[in-house]
Amino acid sequence: MTSNPPAVAATILELRQATKKYAGVPAIDGVDFALRTGEIHAIVGENGAGKSTLTKVMAGVVTLTSGQMLVEGREVNPRTPNEALHLGVAMVFQETSLVPTMTVAQNLFLGQEKYFNRLRGIYIAAQQFLQSLQFDVDPTAVVSLLGAAKKQMVEIARAVLHNAKVIIFDEPTASLTPEEKKYFFDLVYHLKARGVSVIFISHALEEALLVSDRITVLRDGKHVVTDDKAAFDRARIVQAMVGRDLSQTLYGQRKTTVRPQGKRVLSVQNLRMAAMVKNNSLSVFAGQITGVFGLVGSGRTETFKVVAGVIKRDFMHGGEVLLHDRPVRYFVPASAVRDGIVYVTEDRKIEGFFETQSIAGNVYLGLLAKLRGKRTLVSKKEAAEVGMHWIKRLAIRAIGQDVKAIELSGGNQQKLVISKSLVQEPELIIFDEPTRGVDVGAITEIHQLINRLADEGKAVVVISSYLPEVMALSDRILVQRMGKVVEEYSALEATEEKIMYAAIH
Amino acid sequence: MIDALLEWKDRLLGRGDASITVPVFDGALKSNNLLEEAATFATLGSPEDLATDGRSLFVADGGTVLRYEPGVAPSPAQAGGSPTASIVYSGAPAVTALACLRDGGLALALDGRELRIVGGPHDGRRWDAVGGSRMNAVNATGVAPDGRLLVTDGSLEHPVAHWRHDLMSLGRSGRLFELHPASGEARVLASGLAYAFGACAAGTQTWVSESWSHRVRAYASGKRGRAVTDSLPGYPSRISPAAGGGFWLTCFVLRTQLVEFVLREPAYRKRMLAEIEPQHWIAPALNSGNTFLEPMQGAQLKMMGVVKPWAPPRSYGLVIRLTEEGLVRYSLHSRFDGKHHGVVAAVECGGDLFVLAKGCRKILRLSVAGAERSLQS
Repeated sequence: MTSNPPAVAATILELRQATKKYAGVPAIDGVDFALRTGEIHAIVGENGAGKSTLTKVMAGVVTLTSGQMLVEGREVNPRTPNEALHLGVAMVFQETSLVPTMTVAQNLFLGQEKYFNRLRGIYIAAQQFLQSLQFDVDPTAVVSLLGAAKKQMVEIARAVLHNAKVIIFDEPTASLTPEEKKYFFDLVYHLKARGVSVIFISHALEEALLVSDRITVLRDGKHVVTDDKAAFDRARIVQAMVGRDLSQTLYGQRKTTVRPQGKRVLSVQNLRMAAMVKNNSLSVFAGQITGVFGLVGSGRTETFKVVAGVIKRDFMHGGEVLLHDRPVRYFVPASAVRDGIVYVTEDRKIEGFFETQSIAGNVYLGLLAKLRGKRTLVSKKEAAEVGMHWIKRLAIRAIGQDVKAIELSGGNQQKLVISKSLVQEPELIIFDEPTRGVDVGAITEIHQLINRLADEGKAVVVISSYLPEVMALSDRILVQRMGKVVEEYSALEATEEKIMYAAIH
Repeated sequence: MIDALLEWKDRLLGRGDASITVPVFDGALKSNNLLEEAATFATLGSPEDLATDGRSLFVADGGTVLRYEPGVAPSPAQAGGSPTASIVYSGAPAVTALACLRDGGLALALDGRELRIVGGPHDGRRWDAVGGSRMNAVNATGVAPDGRLLVTDGSLEHPVAHWRHDLMSLGRSGRLFELHPASGEARVLASGLAYAFGACAAGTQTWVSESWSHRVRAYASGKRGRAVTDSLPGYPSRISPAAGGGFWLTCFVLRTQLVEFVLREPAYRKRMLAEIEPQHWIAPALNSGNTFLEPMQGAQLKMMGVVKPWAPPRSYGLVIRLTEEGLVRYSLHSRFDGKHHGVVAAVECGGDLFVLAKGCRKILRLSVAGAERSLQS
């Protein structure tokens, strides 16, 4: 006697061989993905695995470079979020897209207003609608006064109001308290009961295991596995997230030796910065590369931005930063630069350089920041000499030093940002995502440069979301989670699984 | 006036001296269990200090000095038990510091108030005052290559056993002496130290542990002291030379944010000292877990039933290997959940490190090469 297999729900949304490239670099590469009607589907993966790109494709935020997207079996190509919404796909972003000065009801009906819009009318309609969803939100409340969970409810309500059949959540629980999380999960179950399919991205694996029906794991822009929740446990997910074949990657060489620890250059003690950095303590030593790994929101960047004077720690009881055992507190980066600390930003286009300035001009600006007050006149000749020196030293490939920064490739832009920092002759260099958006050739050169700096006795910090990069470069690896360092590994003892485990638990 | 205003501002904002922060155990100070896993060499009644002449291990235990021969294999009857020791000195006052002289004999600090030489060519020589002040809390002594004795007197105000009183009263009366056994000459090398506890010759300099300032300072003749290693996460104590170069530095207790906070609250400390039994003070201890009345030193000691390495300890075991420049090379730990706490002395003898964990009254023995191998793997 044979039993019938359980009926599988119809597929509502499908991606076939989906590929999206940014400047020739694939963010997702040949991904196949299928979402069933009325299921909760979790997408997990490391930073940079392609989760956000995949969902942005579905939501019409970005378009595919190649591949197909099908909604209810029909091939579609949404080019804007509005088009995707008309197809029944809505996305709730990490940063809510509500208008903070408007009321809940106004936000719900934004873009659907009638010519003569009665405020009372939309309040009544919003009240009825929110009640039908069993959402406890006052429609007359101003959005800016709502908590994170309530804002998310309004976002969800707006999606449902637009008859969304698929709702995508990008890190929905990142800013929620435990109670709000429970409330959010109830909402998700409620949506499922109404037949809405839910995709949600989360770094918290326990959430994926708790809430979802199926889980998809992405790695390096490729689909690794999709399976029912019951087929996964935490270990299998972590393995799938990080289990890349090291021999096939740029960072295949495991370290067999580590540089000995030199003098302690930096000591961060009980640092606090709003909700992002919580009582964080760490040290950085001369002649070593200290790798800092952590998931988005773990406070890595914020910690080192405080050290470099880019942002300020808490005004009261913010902890201490000691440079060579001397307490320091910088209000602007220039003071830190003069003390020998430079921060090579992760967002080079916004914070790294002046895009309409030449290479030489940018590098010279770095030097002037160090020499404040000592250089009353700007010398074009000196700027040209300094620019040429650093173009040669870092092998910046450009037609000439007068080329504008914006005209350089990503890798050469990054080298420019680095040279702008190194011209300041720092003792402590903080690299934040040094190879993000950089081509493979330049990655190798940047890594060689970072290693050379450590060999010269400088204290080097490398913050990276890419585990193989952290492991290939670092002599010691600090793992941050929820605003503080929770684990330290020597490069010899570290494995991807150990690091990821510490970053998640 | 301006200083008072600045101090008030710092206290309000939690900055400067009022910032309640402690350095972290990371890098070469990263926690491990090597000290906790070390074998017990001997368990004693009231051990105070260790010394070695390169062949034998001398232990000050109450009023006696014991001599062990670690290189001699124990007889079948002794195997598994304590090694045999011979008594080389016995007297009434407790021996609070001990050193082996180069030309034979031992230098003993008796009850912290007198330094006496026993045996050898200078037998019977004694000092009880230096620089016009009487010795009060002599807690460590070392021997320089030229035969000088380097002695630390922790406090002029509190005896050796009352080190916590000195910490809680922010004592700054420690002194460093040099004594010449041959001539009897004595000289103060440094004074006004925040609890001097341990000294050692390092080339032409003398290194001294300044416990309450969490640092080791170096003094050279005619020069001001400079910090060799600073911002330690614990209170440093005795220093001894390591066979492979560099030094062994012990930390007898650790710094915690709670204790740092108490140290910045004079009114609270005054009441605590006046009204509460010393063993129940919010202060570091050489051992802990003896009574439920002990104050917690923080929170979140356990997560998911596992004691976390960052759990703030009341007592701890720590030995630090320093390079000749004073950089931390590696460290041996007995963590919060261990027993080998309150480490006050460590000496190397025959390739093994002997550690005095006063908190559990044990002498521990571990192979230096084995520990280094374990740290590298």
